[in-house]
Amino acid sequence: MSPMFEWILAKRHLMSNPRGVLFTVASVALAVGFIVVTMGIMESNNEIMLSRMVEENPHLIVNPKEEEKFIHLHRTLDLLIWSYPGVISVSPRLQVQAAAKYKDNVKGVQILGVYPEDEEGMMGVREKMVRGDFYDLLFKKHAVVVGTKLAEDLELNFGEKIRLSRRNESMDLEVIGLVEMGTGSDSTLVYMPLETAQEFLREGDIVSQVGVKLGDYNAASDVAAALRSATAYDARSWQDQNQDLLNMMESRDLTNTVFFILILAIAGLGVANTMIMIVTRRTKEIGILAAMGASRRSIMKIFVIESMLQAPLAAILGIGLAFSVSKLLLMYPVAIPAPGMAENQLVVTLTPELLAYAMIFPVAVNFLAGIYPAYKAARLDPVEAIDSE
Amino acid sequence: MSKLIELRDLRKVYGDGVEVIALNGVTFTIDEGEFLSIVGPSGSGKSTLLNMLGLLDSPTSGSIILRGVDVTTASHSERARLRNKELGFVFQYHHLLPEFSALENVMMPLLIAGKRDKAARERARQLLEEVGLGDRMDHRPTELSGGQNQRVAIARALANHPAIVIGDELTGNLDTKSSEMIYETLRELNRSMDQTFILVTHDMDMAEKTDRILRIVDGKLVCEMRRVGGEFTSKDICQMRE
Repeated sequence: MSPMFEWILAKRHLMSNPRGVLFTVASVALAVGFIVVTMGIMESNNEIMLSRMVEENPHLIVNPKEEEKFIHLHRTLDLLIWSYPGVISVSPRLQVQAAAKYKDNVKGVQILGVYPEDEEGMMGVREKMVRGDFYDLLFKKHAVVVGTKLAEDLELNFGEKIRLSRRNESMDLEVIGLVEMGTGSDSTLVYMPLETAQEFLREGDIVSQVGVKLGDYNAASDVAAALRSATAYDARSWQDQNQDLLNMMESRDLTNTVFFILILAIAGLGVANTMIMIVTRRTKEIGILAAMGASRRSIMKIFVIESMLQAPLAAILGIGLAFSVSKLLLMYPVAIPAPGMAENQLVVTLTPELLAYAMIFPVAVNFLAGIYPAYKAARLDPVEAIDSE
Repeated sequence: MSKLIELRDLRKVYGDGVEVIALNGVTFTIDEGEFLSIVGPSGSGKSTLLNMLGLLDSPTSGSIILRGVDVTTASHSERARLRNKELGFVFQYHHLLPEFSALENVMMPLLIAGKRDKAARERARQLLEEVGLGDRMDHRPTELSGGQNQRVAIARALANHPAIVIGDELTGNLDTKSSEMIYETLRELNRSMDQTFILVTHDMDMAEKTDRILRIVDGKLVCEMRRVGGEFTSKDICQMRE
């Protein structure tokens, strides 16, 4: 079948104005490239933050009952938690605030008394050990594994003894390992056997929380709700614990979306402006086409097609730009801070979804931007158009 | 000869506030195969009449009957269809599409009519041969002379076998020799194809070469002359020259 004359005219118009087309395409490509890169950065950043939230923390934390400071019957609670489907590890923990002293250096620390095997199942501590073996806590009662940053702050070395003090109690413990969790906790974390922490606290066989890891972290809210309704314990999912951060991410996404719409609108106005100029320049030609029998619909089609034909080129250039930026970021890494977490590298993740957006945006922008000029062209009075200068 | 187009008491009034009567009760009929001219001074209403005949504009009152059908109030799309199928235009400044070759320009009304590329190409070739431009088909308007461009415009106007070809001062921008060639081309087409031509012009030399002259003054048809034998005759006494 022969191509429609509207296509033939639109294509020839574009070919006769390569410079104009280039500038219009470049403006849309730039907008698309910028948006895709920003979305790619946001997506990868969100993924990193999310993975830190869910992979480097318990999916669920069960806290004591209201008006109770500790969990007394933690073994019963452990068994109850294990009865829920999807639970892959349960780690009772005793958190104790204390002061750590080494030589003349003193620092506030957060002691975590744990069963090493349970904690390993939940947090994968062993692969984060910089020195020593986390499982040595199984055999050494008066020993600790400390965060790397804490050791650095206290100028403490592997194998040396650290003094932990709380109220009138104090205890000397051997540093048998250094751990780097990759979070802000590295500057305060002190792991020790649960029994040692209980002995230090002198409150008996208690824990302050039970951490839980699930096969599917998305089920955390449901399991937490089930636990809350089945027991009087205060069970909180990772979403509850990171609500502020999740809200911040959500509001940032919303702000960015508004920002993207504005950028696309500006690019669209550029396209519309070019199309209006083209229609104005071709007013006489529009009149001649009308005299030859081109309908209003056909004239409108010519200019919409003309606008739309620029979209694939803008999409390709936009995607090319996004790929180039992502490659540059790999070659020249840029660090970005994440609140409460270790620094992230700026990475652009170009998912198929983003590439689809890069194809859809120019089509949508050029279509919307082409409609008004095309409509104006179609409504021109043929007599006035032919007589125009 | 059968009636091709009939104008009945056509009026066109322009104006926002101040009324300007461009056409004031014009009535006449054109038969198939006629070669006629419409003359008159500037501002007499010639161009308005051309726009009415060409279905580019609508009258304020009166009617236009094309092949027995009242098209006065036809819709935009119906008018576009009629312009494509039944009418051909040749303008003073050819108005060819600058990015297209002579062949492509002639093909355009055929493509607008939905003809296939191959058929349109063949018809356009044949027409360009007929107007003596068989060797200039691939040239763009900028590569052709004024007279050649005007012949391309004539070929374009004839593309869809229109009932009427309307020329608006089509030799107004040409030298005497080119004007003569254009006239010869039109006359030949009128004879060989029985093609109806309406030439709107203020060039009386050109008008006197046609077979019928209508003179418009102040929006009114004031004089009509027909060639009988070699001479123009009129029912009334009328002054043709300004």
